[in-house]
Amino acid sequence: MSERRKATVGTRIGMLAYHALMLTISAVFLLPFYWMTISAYKSNAEIFSDPVTLFPDPIRWENISALLTRDDFPFVQQFLNSVFYAGTVAVLVCLSCSLAAYSFGCLRWRGRNLVFALTVCALLMPTIVTFLPVYLAWSKLGLNGTYWPLITPFLFGDAFFIFMLRQFFMGVPREVLDAARLDGASEFRIWWQIVMPQVRTPLVIAGLFATVYTWNEFFLPLIYLQDREAFPLSVGLFTFQSQRAVEWSVSMMGAFLTAIPMVLLFLFTQRLFQRGLSSTGLK
Amino acid sequence: MGAVRLTGVRKLYGTIEVIKGIDLTVAAGELVVFVGPSGCGKSTLLRMIAGLEDVDYGVVEIAGKDVTEAPPAQRGVAMVFQNYALYPHMTAYDNLAYGLRRAGMGRVEVDQRVQETAALLQITELLPRKPKAMSGGQRQRVAIGRAIVRKPEVFLFDEPLSNLDAALRVEMRSQIARLHHELAATMIFVTHDQVEAMTLADRIVVLNVGRVEQIGSPREVYHNPANLFVAGFIGSPAMNLLPATLGPNGVALLSGPVLGGPTGTGQEVTLGVRPDRLTLAPPEAAHLTGEARLIEHLGDETILHLRLPEGRALTMKLQGDVSLQIGERVHARIDMAGACLFGADGMALSSMFSKIVMSSHAPIG
Repeated sequence: MSERRKATVGTRIGMLAYHALMLTISAVFLLPFYWMTISAYKSNAEIFSDPVTLFPDPIRWENISALLTRDDFPFVQQFLNSVFYAGTVAVLVCLSCSLAAYSFGCLRWRGRNLVFALTVCALLMPTIVTFLPVYLAWSKLGLNGTYWPLITPFLFGDAFFIFMLRQFFMGVPREVLDAARLDGASEFRIWWQIVMPQVRTPLVIAGLFATVYTWNEFFLPLIYLQDREAFPLSVGLFTFQSQRAVEWSVSMMGAFLTAIPMVLLFLFTQRLFQRGLSSTGLK
Repeated sequence: MGAVRLTGVRKLYGTIEVIKGIDLTVAAGELVVFVGPSGCGKSTLLRMIAGLEDVDYGVVEIAGKDVTEAPPAQRGVAMVFQNYALYPHMTAYDNLAYGLRRAGMGRVEVDQRVQETAALLQITELLPRKPKAMSGGQRQRVAIGRAIVRKPEVFLFDEPLSNLDAALRVEMRSQIARLHHELAATMIFVTHDQVEAMTLADRIVVLNVGRVEQIGSPREVYHNPANLFVAGFIGSPAMNLLPATLGPNGVALLSGPVLGGPTGTGQEVTLGVRPDRLTLAPPEAAHLTGEARLIEHLGDETILHLRLPEGRALTMKLQGDVSLQIGERVHARIDMAGACLFGADGMALSSMFSKIVMSSHAPIG
């Protein structure tokens, strides 16, 4: 009995140490976010005051209106651009990648595994390697400065999301697809009416991942878009910060408001994110 | 209801031939059961009839039409799967209606057909439910309903009862038998369960490694197996196969006793004896003597597993609750009625001792 109690005490100490370590690591990751948040409500002078204040005093709510009313930083327009960009990519990813995943996961055709392997190989190709020829191609089409080069590629799928969705599509029983074929459904109809409703959760996960990825995407919008009114927030914030380096409080408010939608999205869909990560073997 | 005719049907996966030239005719309104061990190709053959697997060589005809190249939906077949394969996001009603809607049927007619089928299968109260809110038996009834509602030429069943518990299996089996009778439907049923095969089938097709070993009524296949494979496969417990010779005085077991029957000049044969054709006998009247290795008391009968002196196993099925001890010496007598003889090539020589005359084990077509 006493041995068992000892073990329990030992386990408790172990758990305490574990949680202390985890909290410390979490704090390290949270610190920049906390710093951004409090700086958003401070004056420029307070941000650099010595000693450092850990909470803004007073809370400068006017920083919000200062940001939203600036002529050299069309925040609202850029916010809407980001919503459009991320939303469109998310929808396209769900449609195009699920169609490819259906083919790779549910249909049998000669050379399927080879084509899938080649598709996955695309993951190994960094954007930086291909961006120049692709950029030149879009230039020739005269579509630089628009969202076409940023959005159109997702109409043809994305290797990561095809890979992720295929795992779920493979879980749809073959007999259900066969039953639909016997019922007279075409492959396209089976994809849309039979398989898609069964993989709703993975689709939402893919959409969420695509949204977060696109929301934070910086490089491609930076090279394709030239007009400030057309920038998404990622590029807009960077441009503003690099041009108005001294206005830290406005920059921080911009960064804070840019991060908030993704934080809220994560809070409401935390479980889906975790499932997505565990299913792709990313964590 | 249409007949199904397979002519020289073959299937290859790469270079491996899994269906090796099958000729078979299933008459209109007949219930034929495919049985065979795992991997014998019975499910593949069924899927080829359904159009879910390509036919590499040969012709599949349903109701007199060549459907070898036709897509599944245009073959006039409906299939019931082992794992039900219901559309999980649809209600039972929509599961039944889906195929009818795909066929372009109007809403009123769809509703009428679904309600009729539901009434026939007593699943009307299940119609608003989704599959996850149903038990296994209910799901399978809905799956059968989905097949019936389309009024197909041929029903295909791919081990539909395997996922059900024993009691439900018996109930569903009798329901399928009733449906077959009521609808006068052509049905092809795949199973590895011999009881299902024996009780449901008009004819049994025994398959092994992609070939038909025997086609016949359940009684034919049981009493007159065409070869050693069928003899060993059909019947539970399996038929005892004993080495023997055909001597001038008849069949002689290698262990000595002469059983009479057909004579010969010392050819090696195999004598097949069903476990229920062995009885306990006094030592002087016994043909075989062995040691009891395992005794299974099933209440109304006792299965006795013996080991013969030469190391061979022998199974006896005795009526009633026989009290014997493991290790006890048991004397058995062979009841010659119903015994079978197989030649050195494994094919049945005849069933010399049987009153049941086997018609033919050649493919019927």
